[in-house]
Amino acid sequence: MLSCSITLLSQTLKRKGKRKRKTKTKNKIRTKLKINKNVCKKQKSIAKNQQLEEEEEEGFNLKCSAPSNSHGVQPLGNLYLNPGSVNSRNTGLGNLQILSDELVLEILGLLECPQLGVLATVSKSFYVFTCHEPLWRNLVLDYLRGGFSYNGSWKVTYITNFYPSFDVSRGTPFSGLRVRDFYSDYLFQSWLCANLEMKPEWLERDNIDRKRGISVDDFVMNFEEPNKPVLLEGCMDDWDALGKWDRDYLINLCSDVQFSVGPVKMRLKDYFNYSDQVKEERPLYLFDPKFAEKVPTLGSEYEVPVYFREDLFNVLGNERPDYRWIIIGPAGSGSSFHIDPNSTSAWNAVIRGSKKWILFPPDVVPPGVHPSPDGAEVACPVSIVEWFMNFYGATKNWKKKPIECICKAGEVIFVPNGWWHLVINLEESIAITQNYVSRRNLFNVLDFLKKPNASELVSGTRDRINLYEKFKNAIEASFPGMIDELMLKAEEKKAQEKKLSFWDSVTDWKAGAFKFSF
Amino acid sequence: MSRKITLKSSDGELFEVDEAVALQSETMIEADNILTLPNVTSEILAKVIEYCKMHVESPEADDRAAADELNRWDLDFINLPDTTLLDLIRAAHHLKIKGLVDLACSKVADRIKGKTAEQIREYFNI
Repeated sequence: MLSCSITLLSQTLKRKGKRKRKTKTKNKIRTKLKINKNVCKKQKSIAKNQQLEEEEEEGFNLKCSAPSNSHGVQPLGNLYLNPGSVNSRNTGLGNLQILSDELVLEILGLLECPQLGVLATVSKSFYVFTCHEPLWRNLVLDYLRGGFSYNGSWKVTYITNFYPSFDVSRGTPFSGLRVRDFYSDYLFQSWLCANLEMKPEWLERDNIDRKRGISVDDFVMNFEEPNKPVLLEGCMDDWDALGKWDRDYLINLCSDVQFSVGPVKMRLKDYFNYSDQVKEERPLYLFDPKFAEKVPTLGSEYEVPVYFREDLFNVLGNERPDYRWIIIGPAGSGSSFHIDPNSTSAWNAVIRGSKKWILFPPDVVPPGVHPSPDGAEVACPVSIVEWFMNFYGATKNWKKKPIECICKAGEVIFVPNGWWHLVINLEESIAITQNYVSRRNLFNVLDFLKKPNASELVSGTRDRINLYEKFKNAIEASFPGMIDELMLKAEEKKAQEKKLSFWDSVTDWKAGAFKFSF
Repeated sequence: MSRKITLKSSDGELFEVDEAVALQSETMIEADNILTLPNVTSEILAKVIEYCKMHVESPEADDRAAADELNRWDLDFINLPDTTLLDLIRAAHHLKIKGLVDLACSKVADRIKGKTAEQIREYFNI
């Protein structure tokens, strides 16, 4: 399969060892951070010949588990504080320096381990680039799929697996060589986001409605119909899962079952081994749509809260799109801004841990997010942490503030259809989520499935183009006349609203059918 | 009549392209009638346009022969001197032409493979 020159790798390591011993004097350096709109307080950098050490950045807390350096990579701002300083990033890349960091990494992403090993010995600059963890993550996932045993970092995981005779216990080389005078916003940012803790002010705002013990009618009238989010308490009290689902129980129950984790499948035990150790910007997230089929006991230890039991996609039986997921992930894992597929509504129940939610209504695109015109793609190029760093502050001054909350174990959040949402786990979390269609949402869903570009937009099923026909016919078969009845009601309602708004316009132009205020 | 877009290179040369050709570049298609590219020389711009012209129509999904022929053309096209290649990557990235970025990056990666550290230093002029 792969033939890697072990000699080259060990040469690299020996050199690293030497350099590491040279630079012993520690000194505290404060770094100036300029990351898009968030500018940290300016701090001085100290003279040369001193080792760089990351410290608590003004305004940012690093996780206590953060490695003490990112090979000494500094943000570009520091270069400008050091007149006369040369960026070893550039001198070490030679002609390649004209390319941005992302393009350099794109080229490196096409190389295998042996070439990366050789490149690491070419220059300090190449060394730093070839240490970029996502490169090694891709190699591990490509070659080992989900069958890897995570060992501290992706690079070490790869080496441990393919070069088992290589002695990885020689700790020092693998904590990394420090280089001086290497400035790169991209690489620094990447490291920072992997090791940043959530700032308290990102977690403070909690403006969602919270309800306990309301009736289904209440819920439908006040939240589902007006399409408004709500956090529901007390509707998981009867769940076996709440008391039973901890790590040991789940590992015992699920043993060798393979769960979907990003692009691969893994056993629970292997996933937890990874999630315990990982420090990265976008941790792999366990998100499995077939968990109840794979382990029926899991399906039996929870039940759909009473508010969400009307689910018209049921009429499709086994042909319904994916609709329920078990979600497990470490602190920092989550989903960046998106709208749920097929125009469905959703509920998300936290069994263990806690999640921070940010929600924007359908007509308000969150800052930093760029949906394509046809809606087929949503680009949110930044990771969750980076979004908080760069865009969260802006929402404070917006009139259209988002709805935010922290959802803890035992709580269920209702995500109305079409709402943008972002979720981040604040600690290791286990949750169940389901998407559903009720009568209130039926037309939206039918409209969505009918769209000409259904083949790209519709998700969770292999039969995208026909789903509209199938679903419509199945509804007619199981609930004859329902569609017509709902159509009539909708038309009546429209007529009513027109009337109302006319009278309102006479008396008070501000009132109307508008549902939300921010 | 289809829209034409004018591109202006860093050395002042003007190139006119059909809309169909420009469609492959997000930057081009979003521009007004004239797009100035202060970081792209006429030599590189000519190459970019040559690529886009060839790729106006993707071969049909089941037309293996056409796909192979296009691949061969690509491989021949991308066999450029190293500095040209890097300039091309930068220009294609700026113009958001994914296919060309991928093609050119693959070529650079190929040239790295098999070289020793010393050869790489020489190759990149480090």
